[in-house]
Amino acid sequence: MQDILFYVFAALTLVCGFLVVANPISRSPVTSALFLVLTIVSLSGLFVLLHAFFLAAVQVVVYAGAALVLFLFVIMMLDLRAEERRRITRFGLIGGGLAALAVAWLFRAVPREAALVASGPPHVEGSTSALGALLFTQYLLPFEAISLVLVAGMVGAILLSRKEPS
Amino acid sequence: MSDLTAIGLELAVVVTALSVLVLDLWTPPEQKRALGYVAAIAVGVIFVASFAVLIPEPRMAFGGMFRLDELSLYFKRFFLLTALVVLLMSTEIADRIEAGFPEYCALQLFALTGMMLAASAYHFAMVFVALELIAVTFYILTSYQRRRLASLEAGVKYLVLGAVASSFLVYGIALVFGAGGTLDFARLANSSNTGSHRVLELGLLLVFLGLTFKLASVPFQFWAPDVYQGAPTPTVAFLALGSKAAGVALLIRVFYEAAPAIGRGWHGLFAGVSAATMLYGVLCAIPQRNLKRLLGYSSIANGGFVFLGLSTFSAPGLSAVLYFLAAYLFTLGAAFFVLCLVAPTAETADIPALAGLHRRSPLLAAALALSMVSLAGIPPLAGFFGKFLLIKAALERGPSWPAMYALAGLALLAVVISIYYYFGVIRAMYWPGERERGIVRDPEPIVLSGLTRAVLWFCIIGMLWLGIAPDKVLNLAEHAVRALAL
Repeated sequence: MQDILFYVFAALTLVCGFLVVANPISRSPVTSALFLVLTIVSLSGLFVLLHAFFLAAVQVVVYAGAALVLFLFVIMMLDLRAEERRRITRFGLIGGGLAALAVAWLFRAVPREAALVASGPPHVEGSTSALGALLFTQYLLPFEAISLVLVAGMVGAILLSRKEPS
Repeated sequence: MSDLTAIGLELAVVVTALSVLVLDLWTPPEQKRALGYVAAIAVGVIFVASFAVLIPEPRMAFGGMFRLDELSLYFKRFFLLTALVVLLMSTEIADRIEAGFPEYCALQLFALTGMMLAASAYHFAMVFVALELIAVTFYILTSYQRRRLASLEAGVKYLVLGAVASSFLVYGIALVFGAGGTLDFARLANSSNTGSHRVLELGLLLVFLGLTFKLASVPFQFWAPDVYQGAPTPTVAFLALGSKAAGVALLIRVFYEAAPAIGRGWHGLFAGVSAATMLYGVLCAIPQRNLKRLLGYSSIANGGFVFLGLSTFSAPGLSAVLYFLAAYLFTLGAAFFVLCLVAPTAETADIPALAGLHRRSPLLAAALALSMVSLAGIPPLAGFFGKFLLIKAALERGPSWPAMYALAGLALLAVVISIYYYFGVIRAMYWPGERERGIVRDPEPIVLSGLTRAVLWFCIIGMLWLGIAPDKVLNLAEHAVRALAL
């Protein structure tokens, strides 16, 4: 059952991912963005199969929920017609081909050379309590430093977007 | 408790930043400027206090995330002193920063925290968070004068390219984790010594590329001139000194400590980046007519010089890098301080507009001239000794790796070319041509406050002191390098 689900989610991820960049039917960026949502949802299915439930939920909430809504906002501000007319350029083809080759090489190289660490694959901790324990023990300092990033980002967002007192 | 004392300096900076933000609420608008002085005094006190920190042996805190040793302490002092100069610079032009001056100071302090954390990071998670803290604050600091189109353009360029560089870094870290099974530098150093591993190398290569963005070196150098020209001058000074040194600190940590075997195997890559960056910087700087843009290209070239020292993988090379950074601090501190006062907007930073500066303010002209001479690497100023040490360290590596002779020759060539455009600035100030004399905008003398004079003198004396009596700082640098096993 698990194997079947894995293949279903993996195939869905790949097909939807392909449709994000090269959709034969529609060239609208909005369609691409919506296919990206499907890609992310099927990816989170893969996370569930790995028992990483929290990551699966975060994947949907943060990427499908927050990041993509932002994408859509930006897309709405673009000139959709111009985007639809745009064709794939030679530079894009060559760059994309190179990137695909690099990823293919990685997939070949990783299993062959994975013997560097004798300890085996890291244990997957899927539950929120395990994650929370890690955040407040081993990763305490980066976790606290992230709060500074958020404060800085918040201060900046307010400053750069507020009305000038004229 | 002991872990908290290890991050004492960082905590003090964070507390200062938050206090500035909170004090802002009770400060009447006409006194906001005083908050800049408060922040500067606090940073000065923390800088002095950093000399009271004694670490007989390297100390790990937070489960190996954070390492307090002489090397990190050297960088922390460098960042604190940089922030002090930059804060005074910002306070000097407080009325030109329309959108909230106290927040400008607080953001600089947040960036300072990120740099200090980066100097001590001993785990890739910490590296990433520290770098993001620096990057996010600089995205805001570069676009701070949002009514000016140039500043916004600089901010957007920095944001987009910075995000690309961050993605390189994060992908590299993921590959390192996949291949090495750990993100901890100490454990990575143990496992990476067991022979070659191509995925690990690819990951480290991507990390390397992500860090070259911080140093504004090839292949991520394109942003520097535009951002330097458009962003507010104090931001540019902080970017050129602090952000760049944070990249240097992390390069040292990753390629000298986390993966020393791979790093040493890559000295060719370091040397190649050094050569390309130096040449790109000096050749593109020749036709520049805007001083801020010129300093952008000069910053690229100096990134190349830093790589020259890093590519030696020897203790003298590394201490030369640390010394070079200290010299660079006083030199650029003076140059940007003068720019702040003379050129309120990017357009007035054109080199011909500097004509007759020595009549308007002899001290400003002298400080700018000295910093140009120091940047060009003329004795007896600090910049000369920094470049001398770097080239000497490269020549010492020559016997075991002859390509270093060629690289040292290239560095000498870069120095000679750079003399041309640095002296162009001095010529424009003291001996302007007929054409330039016509476009002097306001020939009135510039009145300097007592504090400005003090800071300028501080930078000038620093430049002279480091050039004439380099042993004190060089000892500090050598002491810092001793923490690494070379």
